[in-house]
Amino acid sequence: MTIDEQGSESESIGYDLHVNGQTYPVEATLDRNLLGVLRTEIGLTGTKEGCDDCECGACMVLLDGQPVNSCSYLAAQAQGRQITTIEGLGNADQLHPLQECLLAHGGVQCGFCTPGMIISAHALLERNSSPSRDEVGIGLSGNLCRCTGYAKIIDAVLDSASNGSVEPTP
Amino acid sequence: MTSGLTSRNGVRNENYLNLKAVTLEPRPFPRADGPDKVTGTGRYAADMVLPGMAFARFKYAEISHARIVRLDTSKAESLPGVVAVITATDVPDVRYSPGVADRTLFATDAVRFEGEILAAVAATTEALAQAAVDAIEVEYEQLPTVTDVVQAIAPGAPLVHPDWQNYEVSAETEQRPNVASFSSIAHGDAEAGMARAATVVTSRYVADASHASPIEPRAILAQWEGRKLTVWSATQVPFDARAGVCETLDLPTNQVRIIVPHLGGGFGGKCGFHFEAHIAALARAAGRPVKLVFSRKEEFLAPDRRREGMVVELTTGLNADGTIAARTGTLLIDNGAYTADAAFFPQLAAMLAAGPYRIPALKIEASLVYTNHQPSGSVRAPTAPQACWAIESHTDELAATVGMAPVEFRRLNGLRSGDVGPVGQTYGEIGLQACIDSVASRLTGETGTEADEAIGLAVGWWPSFPGPSGAYIKIDSDGAGQIITGAQECGTGAVMTLRQLAADELGMAAEDFELVYQDTGVAPYDTGATGSQTLFNNGRAVLLAASELADQIRQLAADHLEAAPSDIVLSDGHASVAGSPNPAVSVAELAATAAGAELLIAHGSGKPGEYPETVGASCVGDQGVAAWASPQFSCHGVRVRLDSETGVVRVLNVATCHDSGTILNPLGALGQVEGGVLMGIGQALTEGTQYDEDGCQRNPGLLEYKLQTAADAPTITTQFVETTGGQGPHGAKGLAEAPNVATAAAISNALAKLIGSHVTQLPMTPERVWATMTDATPSDADRDATGHDTSEPKSGDEL
Repeated sequence: MTIDEQGSESESIGYDLHVNGQTYPVEATLDRNLLGVLRTEIGLTGTKEGCDDCECGACMVLLDGQPVNSCSYLAAQAQGRQITTIEGLGNADQLHPLQECLLAHGGVQCGFCTPGMIISAHALLERNSSPSRDEVGIGLSGNLCRCTGYAKIIDAVLDSASNGSVEPTP
Repeated sequence: MTSGLTSRNGVRNENYLNLKAVTLEPRPFPRADGPDKVTGTGRYAADMVLPGMAFARFKYAEISHARIVRLDTSKAESLPGVVAVITATDVPDVRYSPGVADRTLFATDAVRFEGEILAAVAATTEALAQAAVDAIEVEYEQLPTVTDVVQAIAPGAPLVHPDWQNYEVSAETEQRPNVASFSSIAHGDAEAGMARAATVVTSRYVADASHASPIEPRAILAQWEGRKLTVWSATQVPFDARAGVCETLDLPTNQVRIIVPHLGGGFGGKCGFHFEAHIAALARAAGRPVKLVFSRKEEFLAPDRRREGMVVELTTGLNADGTIAARTGTLLIDNGAYTADAAFFPQLAAMLAAGPYRIPALKIEASLVYTNHQPSGSVRAPTAPQACWAIESHTDELAATVGMAPVEFRRLNGLRSGDVGPVGQTYGEIGLQACIDSVASRLTGETGTEADEAIGLAVGWWPSFPGPSGAYIKIDSDGAGQIITGAQECGTGAVMTLRQLAADELGMAAEDFELVYQDTGVAPYDTGATGSQTLFNNGRAVLLAASELADQIRQLAADHLEAAPSDIVLSDGHASVAGSPNPAVSVAELAATAAGAELLIAHGSGKPGEYPETVGASCVGDQGVAAWASPQFSCHGVRVRLDSETGVVRVLNVATCHDSGTILNPLGALGQVEGGVLMGIGQALTEGTQYDEDGCQRNPGLLEYKLQTAADAPTITTQFVETTGGQGPHGAKGLAEAPNVATAAAISNALAKLIGSHVTQLPMTPERVWATMTDATPSDADRDATGHDTSEPKSGDEL
């Protein structure tokens, strides 16, 4: 039993989440969002919280390949679906081509928007493997970045697309 | 990655009369923090957890101005899971803030803005902490609210701080009722100059407040181990944060350690000392670690780092030939309820309102005015985008008055190398004119301007800030290097570039060095990620340390190779004798030798660059920013498109040019300029804090306070004028703030060509644009939204 934001008790339930190809048993109340469960119960902190209101995109993850703001998605609803977080796309020894392109083009500054940006870019390139500059801009318009002015991020995504770097979601 | 920083791409012209802007080809820039950031393994403050950690929430005033009649935390204290509740009575009675000590950690007798903190709660879950906050009872007696800077300084206005005369202030700060800091700059006889002028133009511009809005909301985690306090904080200025904790909790610096994990942006919003002491005090009371993570709404309401609103009145007298005869101005800057670091804003804003022009007679007065708004503080180039928007819009009005093209007016009046500036500072080599030429040629070189499009430009300037800074460098037995620096990386890449500076000096590769940074417990002092000063000052420290270390390596190599140290050359990770065919010895081998003896370890700090003199100027309330060290110059030009049915403006492309001295890292520099431009577009068009009649923010969220998105991003081309004389490493000046000066002004000037007059309130929202176009006054935008430039609209494709 835990106490929710209204101060009343609510029941935790147990369920499984499939994240980055692995199954994690989770025990959480039904009101928990996916972002919080990923970060605190499963310990994957690469997904960031920037606004808790679907406005910034820092919490973007893939659900069966579709990008969603995990701050506004109930964790329990993600049962039975394949969740992909930034940790599922590459690691320091073997960067995903999108990650490599972002670094090479200077598309990373503070890095806080970066995981969500990469997730959105990945989803975009899966839908459209050779997007125009405007299409990349629109595809990333749900992800706010305050550092870069976006130009170098868009350059990186276009570069990644031109190298045919889209890989299937794990 | 061994090409030297000094071997830049582009042609460097030493003759300042022929200074030319160049396009720099970025060299590869491997960020040490890059893999962490793209893989999600990097830790930010909100990612940190400690065993037994409790969660903090603040009880905010939620009212702009009131006397506290009763504050009762007893119900909150008795709730399950609550481990601490603290108020003003639980911390030392200290009034703080640089410039004007007008602030306490917790409200005592009164609250003066909606985000003022009455109490802090720690509980075992976030929900329990919030429930406890909600159980705190407060009874107020409402006081009259001061929300308008003009009314605030009128006789008989209610005082935000009735005790202001008793506050401790820096010697230079001149206070008046509801004025935290007043400053004037004067040079020559402005009154006489104005009387002799052929034409006199007066303008009034009003800028709304805005926000830094880093994407990472701040987070703080504090832990006590005996007398020792460690605070993990999302701050741009760890040493400043430490100073604040020590001052307000009465602790020596060696008991307080501030560690910044990766920092998710700042833009000034995370400068200064904020909530570290609240959380430290809470952790001490709770007897366990305590963590605070801000919501986006709190990020808007609570920090004392709003970009200040401003009212700017300017009068300029012109001679018949279009040269400036005299300028006067009055600036009212909305300080909000407390002063934070804003005491120097009046002088800075006055300089920006003078502009980078030849002005023989000048008088500008600026006041930092208390209101019951959220406090203002340094946000990226504080006061500059608004003041530049005002003066550069005014400048286009001046040009129109004398029938000159705006670009020609700026060429005629803009500062040149060797000129004496508006407050008697004599400049060396400066690139303003080359910046104008660069932008003008790129913008006017385009063809095919549509009927609803126009181009416009503006110039800007900004100082560099010399200051103390330190670093150590060591190379351990395996040849692996470490740079241990007090500097703070907020995303710009400034700290990341330090590796290249050291590597070039030592003939090694950037990747040979790891960085130990943003930890006050292990590194020497640095001012932090503020004032564009990181590479400017810490670069000096790292270069000196590297130079000392190079001497140590040369000595070791000289012994090893039986040569004189002065003949040793360091290159490609090896030491060799100049001109000798004998084999070189690797730095790693020398480091192994040193590991058994004197160690390879060096330190650097160096004397900060000096501030220049001003001659013949008089400054009341001098805050040290009337003469600018390593001044930076810029020109931004834009092409905009207006939807005349709706007033919606879109920026299609941007040309920029910057004189920031030597560019050490072109890729990083371009990133700063492009980010600054997008922030400037936001300030120009969408970013403005709206207040209700009680001084509370109406749009504290990213849906209503709209940042620019990737879909809004224009094409940006950038050139640099690499002037000599910058006091930073290899002749660099600062850079990070300068790109956030002129964009909004350029947009204003382009837009004015399309609608016939300037929009006089910032941000230039569709409603205000439309109101200016139609000369109508909708109820929500009636304040100062009257266009007053009645000159004929020009064709949109000329500058």
